[in-house]
Amino acid sequence: MNDEGESGIISRRSWLNRLLCGLGASLIVNHRPSQAHAAEEEFASRETGPLIVRVTRPFDAETPVREFTSFLTPNHRFFVRSHFGPPPQEAVSEANWKLRVGGLVERSREFSLKDLRQMETVTITAVVQCSGNGRAFHCPKVPGVQWERGAVGNAQWTGVRLRDVLAQAGVRGDAHHVQFQGADRPVVDSVPLFVRSIPLEKALHTDTILAYEMNGRPLPLLHGAPLRAITPGWMADSCIKWLTNIIVREDEAKGYYMQTAYRVPAKPVEPGAPASGPSTPVEVMPVKSLLAAPQEGETVKLGPVTIQGVAWSGEGKVVKVEVSFDEGKTWESARLVGEDHLYAWRQWQFVWKAKTAGIFTLLCRATDAHGDVQPSTSPWNPSGFLWNGWDRVTVTVTA
Amino acid sequence: MTKARRTIIFSLVIGLMGLAVMAAAQEEDLGMVSAALAPRAEGLIIARCSVCHSADLIAQQRLPRARWGATVEKMKHWGAEISADEADLLVRYLSARYHPGAPDHLPPLDHELGKAEPLTQEPEASGPLVGVATRGADIFAHNCQACHGAGAIGGMGPKLVKNPILKHEDLFWETVLHGRGPMPAWGSALSQQDIADIHAWLLTR
Ligand code: HEC
Ligand code: HEC
Repeated sequence: MNDEGESGIISRRSWLNRLLCGLGASLIVNHRPSQAHAAEEEFASRETGPLIVRVTRPFDAETPVREFTSFLTPNHRFFVRSHFGPPPQEAVSEANWKLRVGGLVERSREFSLKDLRQMETVTITAVVQCSGNGRAFHCPKVPGVQWERGAVGNAQWTGVRLRDVLAQAGVRGDAHHVQFQGADRPVVDSVPLFVRSIPLEKALHTDTILAYEMNGRPLPLLHGAPLRAITPGWMADSCIKWLTNIIVREDEAKGYYMQTAYRVPAKPVEPGAPASGPSTPVEVMPVKSLLAAPQEGETVKLGPVTIQGVAWSGEGKVVKVEVSFDEGKTWESARLVGEDHLYAWRQWQFVWKAKTAGIFTLLCRATDAHGDVQPSTSPWNPSGFLWNGWDRVTVTVTA
Repeated sequence: MTKARRTIIFSLVIGLMGLAVMAAAQEEDLGMVSAALAPRAEGLIIARCSVCHSADLIAQQRLPRARWGATVEKMKHWGAEISADEADLLVRYLSARYHPGAPDHLPPLDHELGKAEPLTQEPEASGPLVGVATRGADIFAHNCQACHGAGAIGGMGPKLVKNPILKHEDLFWETVLHGRGPMPAWGSALSQQDIADIHAWLLTR
């Protein structure tokens, strides 16, 4: 081992990580090699399908990151997440569905899908990402769906501006928040409804829309048909699906999903500390990049290898993506390529000339216009939100 | 390599080995606890916890006991039909099997779920069971309604009112006792009298 390069050798950081988080894991694998292997294989075969299923019911599934070599994520490959599963098809059929707007407005209004289609149409390409994407990487582990890398996607959303809808109802002077509720319901009434609000400023932003199309197709049922909110630059917990009710309010929405869930501590906390003290709602997406190719565990030939991926930030455009082959000691700039839109992700490439055969860990990190740099690991929080640690892929180079 | 560096690595290796031995011993204890509790706990997870979400959401967690306790408490508050004793058993089981050091991919449970231990001990049968419809309504509401809908008119599970299976008693009992696909096995959660009561109530609808 020399002091400069540690590529190919387990770094101190990952040693420590193993000590703290995964020690049991590596031990058991050694105890029962055959069973662990079988489980691994079964898991891997699930990953070759269009989506990696995390929860069967209600259906939660993430996109394999290799799909992120394309700019737009196709609808049938887009990650799926909801709390109670979609409502019955009839409830959201064009004939039965209505959007009701009420609360602190001059006049309550109802909109049919036809009404909305007659209003000015806008299309925005935007990243939609589950706030819990990457939860599985928080250490110590936290409860919730154990998303890894793919609870995110980039799509073209078409619909109407929320502010145009609100203008028809007339927002009153005492309004400060806009509450959304969808048609999805828990199987048991005692479970709190999924109700959330966003501040009026975000609701009136010219890019906040109510979308009825996704990538040029009517919004699929799993993605919120017939209408969902899109809050570009913000995490998807505000992008309410199957939207039926908008209530303009003075204060934040009440209830579990606004007052308890989808919040992070206002000040950094000790890893493992119980949730307590002041907290703020999960809103803006922190700067983040993913490595889409080569894939984890892939074997590549000695010679030039094109590394590619995507990067995005809720705080403005991505201005730089870098890759590292030495656990983050030195970084080299990748080339930003492809389409460039404010809320979309940016594709990037780096041609890597591996000089020796062996096992290599590739890392990437992004920097946004705000100057924020993707950290090696994200601040721990009790519910595991907002993970944006360096993305990491291990590949084998053969001669 | 510098001397200081060598020392650091050496102590890390020793520390790691020590931890590994401790963890292995601890792992064995936890394994015994979870194996002992598995038949009852797995019965509860299927019958009580899989009403609102599939059990894979539970099995993917790796949590310390305090957080399992808080999670089960939250589920109870939201409507999971478990007694204080059952909650306690579940927390012990879950924190032994799905603790922070447990591997990502656990070996499957050895026992078959169909053989899950009955939660309610049956008194020796004395004569044929007679279902009481008025009791059945309540038992249905607490155990079946979440999936089969209020009034058994169907939901995530099929409609049971006027369902031909009610006339095929053996098939009805077979399905309810042992489950079928996403339908939980109730042999471990309900007494035969309870099931007979539900059957009687369904027939009156
Ligand atoms: C009355 C409905 C209901 C029942 C019954 C129920 N749960 Fe849940 N559970 C939920 C809901 C709702 C969530 C949140 C789901 C989401 O956010 O997608 C949840 C989430 C969870 C999670 C993920 C961690 C978290 O806090 O979100 C775990 C673990 C869990 N439940 C365990 C259990 C266990 C164990 C039982 C049986 C004792 C159980 N559940 C029974 C409704 C229920
Ligand atoms: C977790 C959800 C769930 C719960 C709780 C549940 N069931 Fe079911 N049940 C199902 C599903 C799903 C099916 C369909 C199974 C299949 O696909 O074969 C089913 C099937 C059945 C059938 C067979 C129906 C047919 O047409 O063949 C009967 C009878 C039945 N359930 C009775 C009950 C009773 C009695 C209870 C309460 C003690 C109960 N179920 C609780 C989900 C559930």
